[in-house]
Amino acid sequence: MNKKINNKTKEKMINTISNTKEIEWERWVEIAEKYPDRDAFIHWVAGEEPFRWTFSSLLKAAESFAVGFKRNGVQRGDVCATIIRHNKYFYPIYLAISSIGAIPSVLAYPNPRLHPDKFRQGLEGMSKRSGLDWILTERELSEIIDPLITKNDSTIRGSFFPLEWERNLRFEGKELEDIEKVRADISDSDPVLLQHSSGTTGLQKPVLLSHKAILDFVTNYAKSLKLSPNDKIISWLPLYHDMGLIAAFHLPLAFGIPTVQIDTFEWIMVPSLILEAISKEKGTITWQPNFAYNILADKVHEDELEGISLESMRMFINCSEPVRDRSNNLFYNRYKKYGVKEESLSSSFGMAEVTFLATQTPAGEKLQSLTVNRQKLKQGIVEIVNNGEESRVCCSSGKIIEGCEIKIINEDNKDLEEGFVGELVIKSVSMFDGYRNYPEKTAAVLKDGWYYSGDYGFCYEGYYYIIGRKKDIIIVAGNNIYPEDVEDLVSQVKNIIPGRVIAFGEDDEALGSEQISVVAETKLTSEEDHRKLKLEVIKAGMTDDINIKKVYLVPPRWLIKSSAGKPSRKANRERLVEDKEIIKWS
Amino acid sequence: MISEKFKKTILNELNLYDFDIQDDTTADQVPGWDSLNHINVILAVEKAFDVHFKGIEVLKCKNIGELQKLVNTKLDQK
Repeated sequence: MNKKINNKTKEKMINTISNTKEIEWERWVEIAEKYPDRDAFIHWVAGEEPFRWTFSSLLKAAESFAVGFKRNGVQRGDVCATIIRHNKYFYPIYLAISSIGAIPSVLAYPNPRLHPDKFRQGLEGMSKRSGLDWILTERELSEIIDPLITKNDSTIRGSFFPLEWERNLRFEGKELEDIEKVRADISDSDPVLLQHSSGTTGLQKPVLLSHKAILDFVTNYAKSLKLSPNDKIISWLPLYHDMGLIAAFHLPLAFGIPTVQIDTFEWIMVPSLILEAISKEKGTITWQPNFAYNILADKVHEDELEGISLESMRMFINCSEPVRDRSNNLFYNRYKKYGVKEESLSSSFGMAEVTFLATQTPAGEKLQSLTVNRQKLKQGIVEIVNNGEESRVCCSSGKIIEGCEIKIINEDNKDLEEGFVGELVIKSVSMFDGYRNYPEKTAAVLKDGWYYSGDYGFCYEGYYYIIGRKKDIIIVAGNNIYPEDVEDLVSQVKNIIPGRVIAFGEDDEALGSEQISVVAETKLTSEEDHRKLKLEVIKAGMTDDINIKKVYLVPPRWLIKSSAGKPSRKANRERLVEDKEIIKWS
Repeated sequence: MISEKFKKTILNELNLYDFDIQDDTTADQVPGWDSLNHINVILAVEKAFDVHFKGIEVLKCKNIGELQKLVNTKLDQK
């Protein structure tokens, strides 16, 4: 099935005229007909020749997987969770799910340090909340996943190993008639993907997005990026994260832009991989969280840069973490001799609830930054100053993307003018419809069509600056971690007083991100006991794939309580980190 | 076999007082050695032994024993 769409072509720009009734599969079919031999995904594996999917070969492979899904009973509207490592067949599998009207949901393959029971519990919690129907995974995980399928109250109906399937299947006869009917019946308002927004597996909030939300977003975002057919995206971002899935998957697919996909795990081991890919493939756009700028600036040997050219790059987009001036400068100073242009350093701000982003540095513009009075900023006032001890450099996250509106509000829900700090609330044509099966969480953040982001910032001369957040979320290398999850794990450690634990994010300037710190009360007093206990606390985090960087052990009743009677994260964090208080044992 | 210097370098980098590291120990079994800290551990080993690894060489190491062997090979080549 292929509905013909009359697209007008803009010279040297991709078509950003929105077709309001289109669905993604139709768009992909149209792109494959228009650019059959153009690279779609270039699957990058360190030390190997990359595997190249063209748009036509990608869709052909997707059709084969679609036959497999239909024959295994997958129906329109079923949620199909994929738990697959970096594999070239991931891309057609994802497209295949969408092509039959089912809903893909990309989940992270479990890290070896994550305890299998924790992974299973997390997946079970997620399946009940999100209503996962099928798990598409690798045989290695069957032992962990199978018990979930046979449980009485499980939503999961089965698991498949599509990587092992025959790859030349075709819809024929009755099957073909049936699938054509299904595809013709899919509407642009139907859900097209389920993303999970922050938190550990069991507590993640399911965000359901429609074809219209995605296509409207990528259309508006493409304008902000001035996306052209000459662009090529280079990404090491995981596809279970909205940044990777929307920016480096849905966006390029919708416009026929090639994308190099690097394994996240390999990139973190060998950061120069992205530079090699940019240089060889003449990449033009990439998105990375702030910490990646520090890693690339500080942790790559000069001899790994021999022959590297980054001249083709027109946008390095910093997102998913607060943008730091120091990180941008480190990166730029290291790589300007390899062709990085100052105006290519860019930034953005957003969240899965508005599909991906609300602001972006316009293409070709230099990233704006402001030096402000730090004390005044704490009071919510933006006062521009020259450099000095009391100053802070704030990096802009750009301007509003078309289709979005932003208000900065105070605690009384009143709009603030430019130059005053408040919470950012967002309205978008690509807004989610609410968290799936989570009305209470939806009601807490979605009011009168506005999404309350929980992020604090200000607007200055039309540019938005994000400076903090209302919630206590810890952002480690672009991953959101709830302190409650860490505190629960640590509270269970023997010799830690249950409930007398706080976790918070501590700034790691060298990394360009936050790391997790824990303060826990214990009755143990000897140095040797403390050393052992700290190790046990770190190990407790490991079972849930949480890396606790610092452990502060304190005596009973050391932690300051909030008015609600619970240990206060803010007060204790300030006491330790900002006041540099030396812990004294009673 | 894991040398005392090699083990100490890793433990120091991860701020660990002691932890049993054997040839077949993998990075994910060592507290604090996560993907973010991996590169710091590798740089610390390079510095301690005055050797230099190619990224792909480290990627191929399946356990800490193989990383020790890589160090030994580099030292032999000096």
